[in-house]
Amino acid sequence: MSIQNLNTFDPFADAIKSSEDDVQDGLVHVRIQQRNGRKTLTTVQGLSSEYDLKKIVRACKKEFACNGTVVEHPEYGEVLQLQGDQRENICQWLTKSGLVKPEQLKVHGF
Amino acid sequence: MDEDLIFDPSLKKKKKKKTGFDLDAALAGEQGETTSAEAPAESGDVDVPEDDNLDLDNFGKKKKKKKKTFFNLDELENALPETKDEKPPAEEPEQQEEEMVDDLDLDIDFTRKKKKKKKTIDELVMEDDLKSEDQEKEDDMHGDWVGSDRDYSYDELLERVFDIMREKNPSMVSGKKQKFIMRPPQVVRIGTKKTSFANFTEICKTLHRQPKHLLDFLLAELGTSGSVDGNSQLIIKGRFQQKQIENVLRRYIKEYVTCHTCRSPDTILQKDTRLFFLQCETCGSRCSVASIKSGFQAVTGKRAAMRAKVA
Repeated sequence: MSIQNLNTFDPFADAIKSSEDDVQDGLVHVRIQQRNGRKTLTTVQGLSSEYDLKKIVRACKKEFACNGTVVEHPEYGEVLQLQGDQRENICQWLTKSGLVKPEQLKVHGF
Repeated sequence: MDEDLIFDPSLKKKKKKKTGFDLDAALAGEQGETTSAEAPAESGDVDVPEDDNLDLDNFGKKKKKKKKTFFNLDELENALPETKDEKPPAEEPEQQEEEMVDDLDLDIDFTRKKKKKKKTIDELVMEDDLKSEDQEKEDDMHGDWVGSDRDYSYDELLERVFDIMREKNPSMVSGKKQKFIMRPPQVVRIGTKKTSFANFTEICKTLHRQPKHLLDFLLAELGTSGSVDGNSQLIIKGRFQQKQIENVLRRYIKEYVTCHTCRSPDTILQKDTRLFFLQCETCGSRCSVASIKSGFQAVTGKRAAMRAKVA
């Protein structure tokens, strides 16, 4: 039998993790940006750093038939970039794969 | 596009959301009422008497009808004489039933419980006397279960409450909250790369918001840059259509204009210690709203030009 009081349990582990996670309470922001002409760019910010974004982007590229990268940002962490307007696609994909809950998703843009 | 389309975000939204029963809207309305009735009581506002009268009227009526049904049941079951004083044992089941109904009603309306508790036995007796006249009136309204000894179902009661509510204030049904109508944004393309939002300041005025706040939101949301020019129109970089701007405006109104509790557009946006607060003029609620953040912006321009600028 172990003595409970002597266990090294950090009660603030959750708090620290979530504050690192994202600036704003775990929301995942999906944005769209216009490029030259009719071209657009979709960015996904706030995905948890526990996931391997490179693998996610690889799967997304295949699924949506577009190109994409992972960009490191000093403030927002790793951000996913996809070519074209993939907001619908990425939202569906993220919820279907169970990475993000629907209420955590926040879609910006027009 | 140029004809007078009525751009009415709340209306369209509502229509989509509305289920058959309109429970949501009614709930919101009632919550608003209750808060407005309670909040001024603390601050000593002038509106109190008006509201209270209204509420009391409604609730009093409802209550009476509810009670009556219990009495009927009791009578049928116990076959006891009507006067209160003679049947102390019969009072206990009655109170239990009252409690039960309270539980059922909890999610509909929060003031009822309080008011019910205030009623004394004397008043109940008074109501007992009134009962017989009311009975007739009621029978032709909802005759389903009143006369019979079968139990009423929750749905029947709910429908009845809403019938009464609709009857008392028809404005709720026809949608007094949907009067929030504003002119559509006039969006015109300038050249190939810029868009002009011509009646930007006008819309800011109808929304009672600082142009800067709306500008910040629009630019953050669209992920572009832009500015207000000399003719007080907004020039945004990028191609946007009226529909797209409408969408963004709708989101702005939902977040920063309509009250989150009662959905009335009669609100004030204040800044308090770096946070924005939305103060409702109708129901008096006050809640913080998210600050506007543009978030991550990818590089879309020419990188060489950027490098040249930095260096």
